[in-house]
Amino acid sequence: MWLSILGLILGISLGLLTDIQIPPEYANYLSIAVLASLDTLFGGIRAHLQQVYDDKVFVSGFFFNIILAAGLAFLGVHLGVDLYLAAIFAFGVRLFQNIAVIRRIILAKWAEKKHVSETPS
Amino acid sequence: MKKQNNQKKPENKRYRFSKSIVFSLVFLVLGFIMAYSYSLSQAKQEASEFTGGAFSQEEERVREELIEQQERNKELRAEIEEKQKSVQQFEQSFADGEEHFADYAEEAEALRLYLGVLPVEGNGLKVTLQDGEYNSDSANPNDYIVHESHVFQVINELYISGAEAIAINGQRIHANSYIVCTGPVITVDGVQYPAPFTIEAIGESDALESSMKLAGGVMDQLVNDNIIVTMDAGQKITMPALLTES
Repeated sequence: MWLSILGLILGISLGLLTDIQIPPEYANYLSIAVLASLDTLFGGIRAHLQQVYDDKVFVSGFFFNIILAAGLAFLGVHLGVDLYLAAIFAFGVRLFQNIAVIRRIILAKWAEKKHVSETPS
Repeated sequence: MKKQNNQKKPENKRYRFSKSIVFSLVFLVLGFIMAYSYSLSQAKQEASEFTGGAFSQEEERVREELIEQQERNKELRAEIEEKQKSVQQFEQSFADGEEHFADYAEEAEALRLYLGVLPVEGNGLKVTLQDGEYNSDSANPNDYIVHESHVFQVINELYISGAEAIAINGQRIHANSYIVCTGPVITVDGVQYPAPFTIEAIGESDALESSMKLAGGVMDQLVNDNIIVTMDAGQKITMPALLTES
């Protein structure tokens, strides 16, 4: 747990400190990658809550989604088609779905807990 | 996951460790991507602001400078024009002054001639008045000798016809000269002269001579008074200055 937080902090500081300039048209890829990683993260949380979590799926999904999203945006830029919109749409929808599922599960758990705590007394 | 936890205690720790390693890697990538994206968008905003704002600002500054310079140029051009005008005025006044100077110089020369303060030399007319031949018929010698009035006549005629300087027997006549009759001689400025009188006049000798020879003019009157008049035109005449002692 601590190691992961350390990793996050390290990553953030590394990202803020890097001064690499990339062409502005590649910034799209990065935003898509951010979206993909967020989606995968929330997907992992949902999977964990639904008891179907798998490390391999999570990690591979994380990197694969990032690469796929960036590649899609790259292709879109070079084809002159706004393919990154597809990625944004897909990941956005999935993000909202995942968050909605998480919310429902948490709510259900909370209600169940309340119910359980109420019944014995 | 839970199965594994329950199953193997010794492997559990290792498994947890590797899992946290993987998680930390994932979070590292996530954090890096997010932070980098954030900083990149920030930089892009800044850059766009820079390219937009600063460039237009620079352009505005340069434009203002240009306008300032143009205004300054305009001012300077006006100043140059003004200066040129004043220079021209100066030149004009110089030219005028020079003309005036030339006029003044000429006038001064003429006045100097009249005043006779300098010796002069030039072409002119020489008139000699000589007493007439002794005439036994005439009892009055006044009838044939040269009077100062004759001299006056000649001098006046010469002045009128443009003589610039006149001398009687080598004595310059000036504005205040006086000629009086003192018996058989005449006195010019206190110097007595007997006949014959040589009156020299510098000027246009032709004009002087012709004016002298006008019909019914001075010459005729003089001849009428039995005076022998001889004229020598076009001679080079030299006159001393007024103050020169002769």
